[in-house]
Amino acid sequence: MSKRKRPDSNAPSDSLTDHERLIYDVIRSKQDMGIWTRDMKRELRVNLPDNIVTKSIKSLQNKSLIKEVVNIHSKGKKHLMAVEFEPSKEISGGAWYSEGSLDTEFIKVVKSQCLKQIIKLKVATLEGISDSIKRSGAFKVDLTKQQIEEIVRALVLDNQIMEVKSNGSGEFTNIPVGKVCYKNVSKGGGGGEPKTGSLASIPCGVCPQINICKPDGVISPKTCVYYTKWLDF
Amino acid sequence: MLTEYGTKHAVHVITNHFGDLVAKVCECLLRKGPLTRQNVKRYTELSDEQVKNALLVLIQQNCVQAFTTEQPDGFADGPKANTQYVVLFDNILHRVRFAKFLTILSQEFDQQCVELVQGLLEHGRLTLKQMFDRAKSSEKEGNLVDLDSLRETLVKLVTAHYVERCPASEPLLMPISEEEGPARKKGSKSAKKIGEPETIEQQVVEAALPMEAMRFSVVTNVESDVGEKEKNSNNVTPGEKRKHDVLELDECGVADEQSVVYRANFEGFIRRLRHKGCIDHVRAHLDDGAANVLSAMLQATSSAEKKVKTKNSVPLSLSSIYEEVIKSEAGRNMTLDHVRASLVQLGELSFVDASSDSYSIDFEKIIEIAQNEEVESVVSKRYGRDAYRIFRLLSKSGRLLETDKISDTTFVEKKDAPKILYKLWKDGYLLMEKLVVTGARQSQFLLWKVNRQILWKHVLDEMFHAALNLSLRVSYELDREKELLNLPADKRTGPLQDRYNRIRKVRILLESSQMKLDDAILLFHDF
Repeated sequence: MSKRKRPDSNAPSDSLTDHERLIYDVIRSKQDMGIWTRDMKRELRVNLPDNIVTKSIKSLQNKSLIKEVVNIHSKGKKHLMAVEFEPSKEISGGAWYSEGSLDTEFIKVVKSQCLKQIIKLKVATLEGISDSIKRSGAFKVDLTKQQIEEIVRALVLDNQIMEVKSNGSGEFTNIPVGKVCYKNVSKGGGGGEPKTGSLASIPCGVCPQINICKPDGVISPKTCVYYTKWLDF
Repeated sequence: MLTEYGTKHAVHVITNHFGDLVAKVCECLLRKGPLTRQNVKRYTELSDEQVKNALLVLIQQNCVQAFTTEQPDGFADGPKANTQYVVLFDNILHRVRFAKFLTILSQEFDQQCVELVQGLLEHGRLTLKQMFDRAKSSEKEGNLVDLDSLRETLVKLVTAHYVERCPASEPLLMPISEEEGPARKKGSKSAKKIGEPETIEQQVVEAALPMEAMRFSVVTNVESDVGEKEKNSNNVTPGEKRKHDVLELDECGVADEQSVVYRANFEGFIRRLRHKGCIDHVRAHLDDGAANVLSAMLQATSSAEKKVKTKNSVPLSLSSIYEEVIKSEAGRNMTLDHVRASLVQLGELSFVDASSDSYSIDFEKIIEIAQNEEVESVVSKRYGRDAYRIFRLLSKSGRLLETDKISDTTFVEKKDAPKILYKLWKDGYLLMEKLVVTGARQSQFLLWKVNRQILWKHVLDEMFHAALNLSLRVSYELDREKELLNLPADKRTGPLQDRYNRIRKVRILLESSQMKLDDAILLFHDF
């Protein structure tokens, strides 16, 4: 810390007021976690009026000493951090978040790439998928093995691929026995769309009012609008 | 596992089949547990005659079983035998499955077998004599029925365990130290684990069951059944009063034909449906080859199954599996390598356990996966894709997970995850636990979990509710178009024909949905 503090304190931070200095020190001490304005106020050793705090924050921002970052846990709250830090994973949400929101487009692309490689390889280990993606050059940035693993886990939850253990023979010939591999869900999963079960294929199975539906109640199978729609031939 | 809508559904089935009076007695027994006739009378406020007749109908149709308990000493009258009646919930559910049973039969046996069982299902219980009379009355020209061929048919069906001798009419249930009454109905899981019958219902069924050899036997040899006669006469149910006048007959065989009562063995049919369900599940997940292999394994091992809910089949070697596979037409074009590959596929999904060159079907696993899929499909349709992923995560992990961890693993937005979790929790799909950590600053975490046992019961209740609703809607639709349906075909023209076509389609859709939903009920309740 102290090593980095010296060179920085040459220019703009020299010209800080006492209040600004107090606030800046608190924010900076939080490093890559940053701090919520209200929490910061509580940590100040002296009681500063709100308007002074607001003014000081503005001024610090103008001097490019602090910045506002999005905290994925509380997007509405003003979260401050010294400029030299990048928000930690806890604040930013990690690699899958961009500006405080889940980067669904990116996730979708990575998912489909992983799936593509698994289908191509038929049976693949995590390393196999990772290498195959690297070789395909689909992404400008390198994805870490952990990132691939997170995506593969989600694909399993999506029921698009399944986890199997290698038995060392047949399609597993090149994979050590007992190693966890992934395979495309051949049937039944139908591209990740779960097969509609018996209960889910009738109105009652997906009815939001099922708990208040009674044979002679206000909502009853005889008067049910979902049924009427279902039986509209 | 009697839920509110399970009871309502069962009462509805009985009302449809036997009217309000019988249904009232049935509901009373379902809600209050085993009762004496006096108590049924008291609770239902029906006359003695009405209660008696309703009970006789229910016994005849295998929906109620009588049993005796001995009142312990110490009461004013001393020890006294006490007849009680217990309702057999499962057998009531089976009533909507008769068409399925007959379909199974028609795939394995000839028309005479089907007709015989049809008679048993319709009348509940019949003697050979009654079966013969029934066959006679529906005899078509040029198709004469004779007693010998009918007896042969019966032997075939009994050997295949699709027909059995009726259980003892009134077994004695040994007094048990635990308290009696409906409170015991639910039984504890631990009791089940050590192999004790779970409920009074099960205990009574167990006690009434004839010995295996006896249960599946048809006495055809006149000489050898002298000793048998006495036992058989005990076997007659209270509903069967006609035994007395035939006992004096010289020939015991004839007496047997008139006194031994048979009924369809529901267990045999349910076991077959369970096998069929497993084969269909495998076919949906893998391919016809794997389904053929599983089917062959079932064929070779089913005779060793002692009860419906068998966990694993007896192990088979590859060669004996192959031998069985090529017996069927579908399996004849499979090579040994193909069968081996199918077994590997089955093993990957844990449908089959392979160990030291022998293979055994893991029924529990197949059924568990099928059940999971049914519930997951409801979650997906009712709550969406994100909920589906969250539910699968919790269901697979089987332990408590924290909100943030859940949203990270499933790629659901931090602000959306709690909303979805809350909705699932509110509808009874998840359990929630609050964890308060007191440190520098107090913080609260929410942990979530899928409890299969509770959830499965909940889902089953929703299924019974849905089954009841389907049935009510069918009657409502048919009732609304009653006049139209009674109109002769040539009078239905123009808009009337359109309306007729509509009601036909409605009926087909509703009734096929009933059948499909019943498959799901089988999966959760019977398998």
